[in-house]
Amino acid sequence: MIILKKILLFLKREFKLFYTNIADLFSNILFFFLSVFVFIFALGSDEQLLRTIGVGVIWSLLLLSSTLSLRKFYEDDFKNGVLIITHMGGMSYELIVLLKIFSHFILVQIPFLASLPIVGIFFNLPTNEIYNLFLTFVIGSLILSCLGSISASMNLLNKTNFSISSIIVLLFSIPVIIFSVGINNAGDNFNSLINLLIGIALIFIGISPWSSAASIRLALKNS
Amino acid sequence: MFKFLINPSRFNKFADIIFKPLAITTALTFILGLFLVYFSPLDYQQGLTVKIMYIHVPSAWLALLTYAIMTIYSIIGLAFKIPFSFIINKAIAPIGAVFTLLCLISGSMWGKPMWGTWWVWDARLTSVAILFIIYLVIIFLNQTFENIEVREKTIAIFILIGSVNLPIIKFSVDWWNTLHQPASVSKLSSPSIDISMLQPLFVMTIAFSLIGVIIAILRIKTEILIRKKYL
Repeated sequence: MIILKKILLFLKREFKLFYTNIADLFSNILFFFLSVFVFIFALGSDEQLLRTIGVGVIWSLLLLSSTLSLRKFYEDDFKNGVLIITHMGGMSYELIVLLKIFSHFILVQIPFLASLPIVGIFFNLPTNEIYNLFLTFVIGSLILSCLGSISASMNLLNKTNFSISSIIVLLFSIPVIIFSVGINNAGDNFNSLINLLIGIALIFIGISPWSSAASIRLALKNS
Repeated sequence: MFKFLINPSRFNKFADIIFKPLAITTALTFILGLFLVYFSPLDYQQGLTVKIMYIHVPSAWLALLTYAIMTIYSIIGLAFKIPFSFIINKAIAPIGAVFTLLCLISGSMWGKPMWGTWWVWDARLTSVAILFIIYLVIIFLNQTFENIEVREKTIAIFILIGSVNLPIIKFSVDWWNTLHQPASVSKLSSPSIDISMLQPLFVMTIAFSLIGVIIAILRIKTEILIRKKYL
């Protein structure tokens, strides 16, 4: 019972911290909208063209804008010692990582969902494609949160090479992009592709607490 | 008996004994392999371009093999805390990158006359390109961190996560409909390649792996000297 209370307190702290810094989230979403605008300006306003490439463009821009604030995933908690204090309070690093991924998923990724229909209108997408986009983004953003956790924890002590964390996220998100964009012209394979995406998500939920906790331990030991 | 694989000083002694015979064997194997390739029969459809296979296939196998060795050594290094495995990881990553690049370039030169294009977005080609990017990220990560323990363990974790790509490369020709041909040598039943082409292929594979071993030995010895602060 007491561990449940600790988990609730940790999440409450995350939510409060997020609330004080809500402009960060809005600038992320603003970046997403602006990049969509820039893309459309660069392509010209041919409706047929925009409709055919819409889903792929939206997915890749979502990916880029969700890697923007990755460095903040663990850095603040690492620098002011919250990670170590929470660990001394009786929570393993793996559990902390899981809670962090959960709160990142709820607080940073889910608000992008609200912006998807508007962007879908910009690209003249049909309704079923917007629905597919919703469905794949709910699963895919969980994978993105796990990847963000992995790369942010790897780069805690990295003081020179700032773009490598985004490179790691982009590298491992290639299967997510392939399956989530391919779902629109899948036809009968719809369910199998959804199952494949859920499988990838489960694999990453299994991998990421272990590897992030190992990296965090390393960084705490050597900082 | 195999302690030289995890112990630096044993490795140094073993490498000193083996290096000269290995170099001579490599040279002989290469000469023999090139002769066999020169006298190997032409393909009835592809003509002369089939001889790109004798560079393309060994370098592709060795690119995968290098990554598999790095994966095994990362598991050993993280689980049993053997620092020599991290030395090997750092030393052989560029070799794997070079083999992957060789595979991509020769494949693209083979694809132009046969498929009519330098590059297609095919499952096998894409996954090998991703393998090349993974090798590059490993090499970049080697230059990134100041603390040596953080650096090598982070790279080991990255290699373990990236090893998901290996089965995808191996089975990509079976899972998807690809332009790249399916496996013809390493099938479980008898290979579907003729023996007159199989012989030069195997000799070339042995020659390529020997030259990889020679470069790996040199790089590992240099890395040991750097760790001992001699260089």
